[in-house]
Amino acid sequence: MLPHIDDCYRLARWLTGDAADAEDVVQEACLQAFRGISGFNGSNARAWMLTILRHAAYRWLRKNRPAALIAVDDVDALAGRQGNGAAGPGVETPEAVLIAKSDAARLEAAIAGLPVAFRETLVLRDVQGLNYRDIAEVTGVPIGTVMSRLARARRHLIATIGTNE
Amino acid sequence: MMSNDPTLVVDAYLDDELDLAHVLELEQRFASEPALAQERDRVQALRALMHDRLPREVAPQGLATRIESAAGLRRTPSRPSWSALAASVALAAVFGSGATQLALHAATGNPDMNTVIDSHLRALMAPAPTDVSSSDRHTVKPWFAGRITQAPRVVDLTNEGFPLLGGRIDVVGRNPVPALVYRHRQHLISLTAVPDNGRGGAQTRTIAGYNVLAWTDNGVRYWAVSDLGSGDLDTFAKAFQASPDR
Repeated sequence: MLPHIDDCYRLARWLTGDAADAEDVVQEACLQAFRGISGFNGSNARAWMLTILRHAAYRWLRKNRPAALIAVDDVDALAGRQGNGAAGPGVETPEAVLIAKSDAARLEAAIAGLPVAFRETLVLRDVQGLNYRDIAEVTGVPIGTVMSRLARARRHLIATIGTNE
Repeated sequence: MMSNDPTLVVDAYLDDELDLAHVLELEQRFASEPALAQERDRVQALRALMHDRLPREVAPQGLATRIESAAGLRRTPSRPSWSALAASVALAAVFGSGATQLALHAATGNPDMNTVIDSHLRALMAPAPTDVSSSDRHTVKPWFAGRITQAPRVVDLTNEGFPLLGGRIDVVGRNPVPALVYRHRQHLISLTAVPDNGRGGAQTRTIAGYNVLAWTDNGVRYWAVSDLGSGDLDTFAKAFQASPDR
């Protein structure tokens, strides 16, 4: 009856950061989907539904967390904190080992700290399992932007959790 | 041709987004470029970590129910099209609080009528049209016991084309009163029963596209609200009045 509601709920949780707020956003998105069902072209219901959810979440953010959206294009601050890929200081000791030992709470906090544009791209790929093409459709950006946001988000997480603290 | 940014290609490789030729090319580079292989290992470790450690949350059970109710999707034997449902997303509640009544516009005559319409419009955003969802009057009627002091008249009008969806409690003038929700095709009807010793006659009105029909019976003032046509709403009222209690 309500396909993709779990997908919607997960994305809403990551975008709003709160379970109750996520429920409100999902409900609004679902009701919008019911009203707008005639606008659905029938090809990819999941991406269509997630697109509506994302718009609802952004409306919610604009209203309740405007600061979160100001940081959307704060790519440079994010890029500045990441190591320069293979040339980073951790070449000798494989960070992969540290990363694998990182606990869930630290990981979640690191993801929650990502600017929303990077967070949604990461969540759509690594939590929801969407392919690049669908992520591009949902977030309304070219695939190249999806790739770059995803790579930057991951490098930022690696830099954040792949260290001893 | 491969992208100049090796990190993007590593991600695309791990995400299974590269075609075979690029996969082969990149795997050769992994063999000859340890730094790139380490990049792959880091990203892969992160992907595995997210896959293993992040909670796979599912939407709370009540959420789907609430949304389906709000959209009028609950307990519909034949599933109507969503676009048709859109017309009837406008749902339920009839009476609002005392505070709402204070805020009434004095544009039209009867304040109760205005309350009915205002509440009905506000109900567009209500999470559910019913607090108890059942088509069985023997489930709905006892549900009210212990919650309110009056035992409402609950009748099954399925044979007349108005299946019972359930009930809820509205608040009128700070008093809890029973409200029943019926369905006719894709339209919902809210029927609120307010104790009233007056002798108000039958009353019909159309405001903002919604039809309101009121009548008094046995010391109870009934308010029926729906986006149903006035003829159909009248049929509903007559069926309700004519139906035997058992």
